[in-house]
Amino acid sequence: MDNYDEPKSKLYGKVTYNGETLGLRGTGEAIQMQLYQDGFELHDPITVYVGQEGTFEALLFDGEYKLVTKDKNGPWVNSRDTMVVNLKGSTECEVKVTPYFTISGDAITLNGNTLSATCAINKVVSTANIDRVMLLLSKTSFVDEVNNIARKDFTGLAAGNTSLSMDLAGNTNVTEAKALYARIGVKTSGADQAVYSKVIKLK
Amino acid sequence: MKKHYILTAVAALALSFGSCSDFLERDPDQILTEDQVFSDANMIKSVLANYYGRVTWGQHINDSYAYILLDEACRSDGGPDNTQSFGDAQWRVYDYGLIRNINQFLAGVRAAKVLDKDVQLSVEGEARFLRAWTYFNMCRGMGGMPIVGDEVFDYKAGMDVTALQYPRSTEAELYDYIIKECTEIAPLLSENPSVNGARATKWAALMLKARAAVYAGSIANYNNKMVSPIKTAGGEVGISADKAKAYYEMALASAKEVIASGKYQLQNTKPNDKGKNFYEAVCVKENNKEVIWARDYKYPGQTVEFTKLNIPATHAEDIDRCMYSPILNLVEAFEYVDNREGSIKTKDAQGNYIFYDKPEDAFANKDARLYGSIIYPGAPFRGMAVPLQAGRKSLENSVWVSEVAKGGTTDAQGNVITSINGPTTTNDQFINKSGFFFRKFMDETPMSSTRGRNSDMWFPRFRFAEAVMIAAEASFELEKQADAVTYINLVRERAGIQPLTVVTFGDIVQENRVEFAFEDHRYWDLKRWRIADKVWNGIPNDPNAQQFALFPYVINEPGNPNNGKWVFDKQPVHMAPYPRYFQPKHYYNFIDQGWINNNPKLVKNPYQ
Repeated sequence: MDNYDEPKSKLYGKVTYNGETLGLRGTGEAIQMQLYQDGFELHDPITVYVGQEGTFEALLFDGEYKLVTKDKNGPWVNSRDTMVVNLKGSTECEVKVTPYFTISGDAITLNGNTLSATCAINKVVSTANIDRVMLLLSKTSFVDEVNNIARKDFTGLAAGNTSLSMDLAGNTNVTEAKALYARIGVKTSGADQAVYSKVIKLK
Repeated sequence: MKKHYILTAVAALALSFGSCSDFLERDPDQILTEDQVFSDANMIKSVLANYYGRVTWGQHINDSYAYILLDEACRSDGGPDNTQSFGDAQWRVYDYGLIRNINQFLAGVRAAKVLDKDVQLSVEGEARFLRAWTYFNMCRGMGGMPIVGDEVFDYKAGMDVTALQYPRSTEAELYDYIIKECTEIAPLLSENPSVNGARATKWAALMLKARAAVYAGSIANYNNKMVSPIKTAGGEVGISADKAKAYYEMALASAKEVIASGKYQLQNTKPNDKGKNFYEAVCVKENNKEVIWARDYKYPGQTVEFTKLNIPATHAEDIDRCMYSPILNLVEAFEYVDNREGSIKTKDAQGNYIFYDKPEDAFANKDARLYGSIIYPGAPFRGMAVPLQAGRKSLENSVWVSEVAKGGTTDAQGNVITSINGPTTTNDQFINKSGFFFRKFMDETPMSSTRGRNSDMWFPRFRFAEAVMIAAEASFELEKQADAVTYINLVRERAGIQPLTVVTFGDIVQENRVEFAFEDHRYWDLKRWRIADKVWNGIPNDPNAQQFALFPYVINEPGNPNNGKWVFDKQPVHMAPYPRYFQPKHYYNFIDQGWINNNPKLVKNPYQ
């Protein structure tokens, strides 16, 4: 009998700040966590991909794992503190991070050819600077800096209440789309990923 | 009967003895011992030749596909280009097998008795040069890696392998090692240019030294100016800012030595035809005065497919053609003779088409290096104009509308609708998609685009213009503004464009881009200057990150004064829908987990 049964225990996790999950880029393996397990000869991490709602899950064998964020990956202050996870059956865990910015009070509306958005951009880390704010529109519920059919970048913005708008006239991808989802993203100078608002369904 | 047995036995015995002497005891002719190799000068030379054949990495003409990854060319072969970003192992080099082979060779050559002392030293110099070049290729991708010196590792069953596991050096230490090696071997190597630049000379070593120093200097300088500098705690990645000045000084001194050598020059044999002159300086081997070290190819035996794959359909000599093609982004990077803004003028201020009598008129007064690097619509190749015609335009309700057809279609009167060369927005094979063809590295030799022959175009790795540009860059960084102006203007003057009075960082970036297009400079330059994430920012329709094409149309409106004239449409390349997106993690290749498993002393790179 040289075969194991397949792993059945599930690790559910979320990436949070002040108890709220963060909106992230969920495509292109953009945000990753790493699981390590001691006691083995080799130290390959198990990579866990975080979805755009800030949640992740992995099917594993029971045991003690060490969960870390990936180096300099994510719209938060790089911190590689190890979190020990004891997995027995299904287990939930919470990865607490300090994002550079958060987005709150977001509202996005489509009026004819104009996409308008308002939100509050809250500075969490006092030294952080906004590189760009992105207004994004997609024809699927996956909306981020790469997966979109319309994108407008706003630079030179400061934290605080913000209004954004994008003219969609002439964009045939938008007129032909059966469904439309929108999102706001805030990229910090020097960070590899943006933080996003919740995905809003417009059509 | 008995006699018969005896005879058979004797025969068998005789046969077995016979085979002993001339079959079973033959020396192997495929496997040679070290003694055999190092007691024969020709054998030593062929082992060295083997190493020369193993050091071609990065972007080069034996891998045409590699040209589409940046902002220089796009796919025209019919398939979509879904490139969005870069790989964690893009152009990554990790070749300790080669380094071990070179170290074995060095031990053998140093003990060899058949070579004259000066030959022995120059062979040692060449081997060490190739080893330094290998380290350089590793370092520019990954940062500091283990330096093993001259040691030849041997493994015996049961031995303690931890003695074989070397930790990574710092990035600065590896650049220092490359620079030190080049300094030491320069006096061992020949001062005379080698045939077709194929073998390393003193000047190749000094060029590698200059390039390594300017790379290290820019990392020390620009990495620390990033919002979030890329470095590891142990310095495997990242160089401290206070080292920048010394590196720039070293780069300048080494480049100056090459410039003062008198062995090479900014080749200017056809000053009245600067475009052709530039092509010949880079691409023609005969009497070349510019190229210092190249990957040479030679028919028969060592040939390259670049010409065959990328030749215009009108000029093709075999079924292959039009596979990859340069894009408008690069064409517009070339300045005008008297205007630094190089965009092609297709519309006037009111948004109306500008009509050109001939398609090539749209490229008049451009930097001569455009002609020397890229075939634009109507430019000649092998003595015959290269047509590029996307279609025809006629007026419908006072609006110009396009008529396009399959490549090579003519109307009833025999007038071309769409050229057999394209460009088109189809997904057809063998037809252009961007409006331009390569000229640099395209071979003008007859039959060089056939499958039977192929081309023996070379691929220069170091040429004199780089010495001048390194001198310009290092002078600029050392705040020797007057020297920087002098050096950069040497290069600009040969290209026939206006001299500068002041050099900025942007000028250095710009000049390198157009001078060394397709020569494996752009990617590494943008990385070491830490601007790759700004230029290839992943924003749709960004003028740098998105790939653009230029489609020429002829006016088909009899009676109209513009009938028969040419207009151009700028549009994104339809085969490459995604903008290039260089993320901070791409500044350094990832360290492979398998290497770490074999050698736990290797630390990972940032973002990994």
